[in-house]
Amino acid sequence: MKNILLATILRILSFFLRVANLGNGTTWPGHLALKVNPHFIEEIIKEKHIIPIVVAGTNGKTTTARILQTILEASGKRVFQNDSGANLLNGIASTLILNSETGTEKSPLYAIFEVDENALPKLLKKISPKYLLLLNLFRDQLDRYGEVRTIAKHWQDSLLDSDTSIEILGNGDDPQIVGICTTLQQKIEYFGLTAGEKQTAEHTADSSYCPHCGAKLTYSSVQFSHLGDWKCPSCGLKRPKVFSEKISLPLFGSYNAYNGAAACLTALKLGLQRKTITTGLSRVTPAFGRQETFVRDGKNIQIFLSKNPTGMNESLRTIKELGGTYLLFILNDRIPDGKDVSWIWDVDIETLVRKDSRIFTSGDRAFDMGLRIKYAHPVIDHVDTHEILETAFNDILKSVPKEETLFILPTYSAMLDVRKLLTGRKIL
Amino acid sequence: MKYELKIGWLYPELMSTYGDRGNIISLQKRCEWRGINIELIAIDHTRSDTHLANIDLLFGGGAQDIEQDIVMRDLRGKKAKAVHTLIEAEKPALFVCGAPQVMGKYYEPAVGKRIEGLGIFDMVTENPGPENPRLIGNTVASVRWGNLNIITTTSTQRKPIVGFENHGGRTRLGPNAQPFADVITGFGNNGEDKTEGVVYKNAIGCYFHGPLLPKNPHIADFLITRALEIKYQKSVTLSPLDDALEWSAHNAIVKRLGVGI
Repeated sequence: MKNILLATILRILSFFLRVANLGNGTTWPGHLALKVNPHFIEEIIKEKHIIPIVVAGTNGKTTTARILQTILEASGKRVFQNDSGANLLNGIASTLILNSETGTEKSPLYAIFEVDENALPKLLKKISPKYLLLLNLFRDQLDRYGEVRTIAKHWQDSLLDSDTSIEILGNGDDPQIVGICTTLQQKIEYFGLTAGEKQTAEHTADSSYCPHCGAKLTYSSVQFSHLGDWKCPSCGLKRPKVFSEKISLPLFGSYNAYNGAAACLTALKLGLQRKTITTGLSRVTPAFGRQETFVRDGKNIQIFLSKNPTGMNESLRTIKELGGTYLLFILNDRIPDGKDVSWIWDVDIETLVRKDSRIFTSGDRAFDMGLRIKYAHPVIDHVDTHEILETAFNDILKSVPKEETLFILPTYSAMLDVRKLLTGRKIL
Repeated sequence: MKYELKIGWLYPELMSTYGDRGNIISLQKRCEWRGINIELIAIDHTRSDTHLANIDLLFGGGAQDIEQDIVMRDLRGKKAKAVHTLIEAEKPALFVCGAPQVMGKYYEPAVGKRIEGLGIFDMVTENPGPENPRLIGNTVASVRWGNLNIITTTSTQRKPIVGFENHGGRTRLGPNAQPFADVITGFGNNGEDKTEGVVYKNAIGCYFHGPLLPKNPHIADFLITRALEIKYQKSVTLSPLDDALEWSAHNAIVKRLGVGI
């Protein structure tokens, strides 16, 4: 009971602080709760009969959690999730504080937690989710996360130590994820996509070598990066049988098709009807900064959060398919973005940007991004760099003709900045 | 006369951790923009030592641990000898991030056994283990051009180098190796003696990882110039390029780190 009381007090306090505009309480209530009781998360989940579902992976966590929540809501289930900016233990504890509901046997309460790659092992020490979704592992913020294989190893060690009742839903198209899963005791099912057209792994492929024996993998088809229908010619490890039903989702890009497949498989496992799932999928709207659209001065603006090479490549590929030619890259190097911006040189600007696109760059590292674009010559022969986004944004927008769309590719903190400019308020 | 250069890229698939490709793109474009023909040759398990013999400029990027292992199993015998021959012939080379470790005498990882290097640079690298922090951050260093046998430098060459380092290993130079630069801010080879990187003849090793050359066009142009001079056996002056954006990116880091230069 003391946890529920603690949560109530912190919730009320957080409410007043928000009303008084003194903060919006995404992580501090959780920080306090964990200080008072380090076992707060696991205890309150038990006391309030909450069924946790955890989503982990480099890219797609927020969107997958959102799709799953929309499906569950469409079927009348009670469900809540954490904000993407609150995906460490503090944030998860805060989410549990701010949600006042309690689950019952008749009316279960689901909590969908997206969790930071480094925080997953810590969370699994505390709770045993009903389902754990492992989406993918790509290069991301080497200065913070280390090598892809280091994370894979941490996940594997942590899962070998975790409750065997956790059911894992893994991306079968990602050799690194399968490499982890095949060593575990837990029950595992896989999702994936049906064969694509590309035949070879791309430059950004991080895991085109067998996670078990180190031999070079062969692909009969590739979706993007190292995801696809793969096989190890040496030890025989290969893409397992995957759930790959074609689903209809109002979001662009094959990366979102993966997010949809992961959410859809989870919903099926939870016993939801296909019809309800289809309804849910049709109601999905973009999570903030993920293909989110705005209209300003008769011009369309669409934000594609792009925080690592694979993410930016997939954003560019989708924008190219949409016919986009006005592009604004905003590259920041603050802690949530990663301080190292070297990764922009792994982005395939040369092939993924329409020739003669009008390109602008801004943010803390506007010149670095500008250089990357400059060296994509002759595909692009000009780039406009603006160090200060706030002062340049209106000028950039003026360069875009009416009815046209300005596609914005920001890193995480840059996405928050540009949203603030567009909505006039701060989100996190 | 139309110049031509063959640029060798060591194991592009295996030694490419974080934007290392930026160096190749920089060399390629800066040659193209000056009308110098470029042939890019991937030196990997599909190529033999004879391919290395024709290289005019060699580049190697950083590898993750398992990849480094695969590289070292292939880069030995005749192939390793071909790299030695090339460096001894004063052909320019650039090794960034983890690549200098491969070119040093040995690398001792935090766990696992010592990995023997090619011994091109008289240096050894040891990883003191996970309880010691990795050396990470933006960094600025000033180049010791004398070690590259450039006596008089231009004002552009006197500019420092800027970059980002991220390494667990600590490198110590032996008596037969010279540092490439002196750390102004950052950690450098070992976080202690203020040296950064290593030089032997025209080969440069540098802990700055990923895209060193785009923001340091003076180093890119040094490598290109020296490659042409060695190949054509005459003194070469490159035609100037508009590097305003390159220097803006360069100066932004210098300014941010508060380095007074």
